[in-house]
Amino acid sequence: MAEKNEARIKWTAEQIKQGSRPEGRPFWEGTKEHKFLLPLGLDSRPFWYPRAYAPGTLEDVTWKESKGEGTVYSYSVHYIGPNGSFKGDPPHVVALVDLDEGVRVMTNLVKDEENFPSIGPDDVQIGQRVRVVYEVLSEDVTLPRFTPAD
Amino acid sequence: MSVREATPNVAEARRMLKKGIVIAGVGETEQGVLKDRGSFQLLAEATKLTLDDAGITLAEVDGVVTAFSFVEHTLMHATTLCDYLGFHPGYFASVAVGGATAPLMAVQAALAIDAGLAEVVLCVRGDNTRSGISSSGMIAQAREMTQGEFEWPYGVTTIGGYGLLAQRYMYEYNVPQEALAAVVATQSEHGALKWNAMLREPVTIEDVLNSRMIATPFHVLDCSLVNDGAAAFLVTTADRAKGMQTKPVYIAGIGEGYSHQYISQAKSVDSVRDGLGRAGRRAMEVAGITPQDLDVAEIYDSFSFTPLIALEGFGVCGKGEAGNWVLEGNAKLGGKLPMNTHGGLIRQAHLGAMHHIVEAALQLRGEADDSSRGGGNHQVPNAKWAITNGSGGILAATSALVLSSEPPSA
Repeated sequence: MAEKNEARIKWTAEQIKQGSRPEGRPFWEGTKEHKFLLPLGLDSRPFWYPRAYAPGTLEDVTWKESKGEGTVYSYSVHYIGPNGSFKGDPPHVVALVDLDEGVRVMTNLVKDEENFPSIGPDDVQIGQRVRVVYEVLSEDVTLPRFTPAD
Repeated sequence: MSVREATPNVAEARRMLKKGIVIAGVGETEQGVLKDRGSFQLLAEATKLTLDDAGITLAEVDGVVTAFSFVEHTLMHATTLCDYLGFHPGYFASVAVGGATAPLMAVQAALAIDAGLAEVVLCVRGDNTRSGISSSGMIAQAREMTQGEFEWPYGVTTIGGYGLLAQRYMYEYNVPQEALAAVVATQSEHGALKWNAMLREPVTIEDVLNSRMIATPFHVLDCSLVNDGAAAFLVTTADRAKGMQTKPVYIAGIGEGYSHQYISQAKSVDSVRDGLGRAGRRAMEVAGITPQDLDVAEIYDSFSFTPLIALEGFGVCGKGEAGNWVLEGNAKLGGKLPMNTHGGLIRQAHLGAMHHIVEAALQLRGEADDSSRGGGNHQVPNAKWAITNGSGGILAATSALVLSSEPPSA
């Protein structure tokens, strides 16, 4: 279990570093300080995922902190994963969460405990309220995930 | 964000297709685990079968449209194939829109013919995806379906990505797992009759529900196959097809549509249905028909859920009603609108939507009886109108064709 979790942490940090675009840097700088920053167009409407210009209008981008609270739009309990560190017991839950500020993000639903284990397949439902938690993957990368709100 | 739907110039699309753009030949290799055949070998084999079907030689082909390979990567897939085949046609293009590629290959061929760039266009796609792909190639393929920075790191899979929208759909319309399983059971009966289907044993709804869960709501039997194989079709003018030996099948309508690239950015079940549905609605509008006119539907079926939302988007069923529609038997051979009469990606093989187009053409030629080659009769009697589509990404970019056994009316 612990080994598997370490492998997942290592893999995830690598994927984020490899996949990162320059325009997403303010977001990843924010998560290190436990802030969930949302990109905004000039009309102050947040959008997701970060782009160099606001989608549709191509306005300049500013950033605003989200409260990190939202509602589960949907989820899929995964009994497989992109590599061995995800596969199997326990399954991981991939979810789409609608943040209260009006954007939808992909995430995992986890317990707010040491090592953030996945929540059980029976503990997730559409419409559930959730809040962000931050998992430090490495010195450079802190990953936001979500947990059921109290 | 302002979204403006492009005004489709239906009259212009009709003008092009009324000249008579036809599929004059089709070919499919065996499908499955074909360890001794490489990617380009399979493409060459499908090409030979298709030329033989039409009764022409390679020298008569003056245009080639290909797709891509997961195994033999090249930035110049079409001309790489031409070199392998040993000829130099005047027109060549590669199309890469994931599962939407095959119908778009037909569109590309039609446009090239209309523009006078070519007259006889070979459209061919295949790969040794099952035997030839490396594990890093497989992972790269899965990653491409997601947003690399903000989706992929959460361990999402292609299956689970579809699962996210499927579960929301099931929640909104109170659709039971049985409805998804009914798609598989229905198509398994059809696949049992297709000579080269990988899975020939019919399965029941219970079999699907009892199979291993992969990512909710999908069991292993809800998922499409991974295989080696190739298929091709030949696009030309009705005039040119008069010198060929097959009954030509007319491309009567074309359409495209999408609502998102990444599944986290899909606004709603409604927006997804409307976006991908536009492809089929537009294709029917160009053809001048309504869903009631359709005789057979070869609908992209990456997962059991995929055809349900397409059937609704195309207007065959109302919102949230496709599951019951399938459960009632309407999609079976002999039903109201037989669907995936070749077994589809779930039972026959997965080459994007290539097999869907080939099957639609065979249905409209009246040649969907594989009794003489170890399969069975899956012909829809007197089929005149077929719809077929492909979807790339996770319910994203979609392209559709309406095909007809008859020439367009003046």
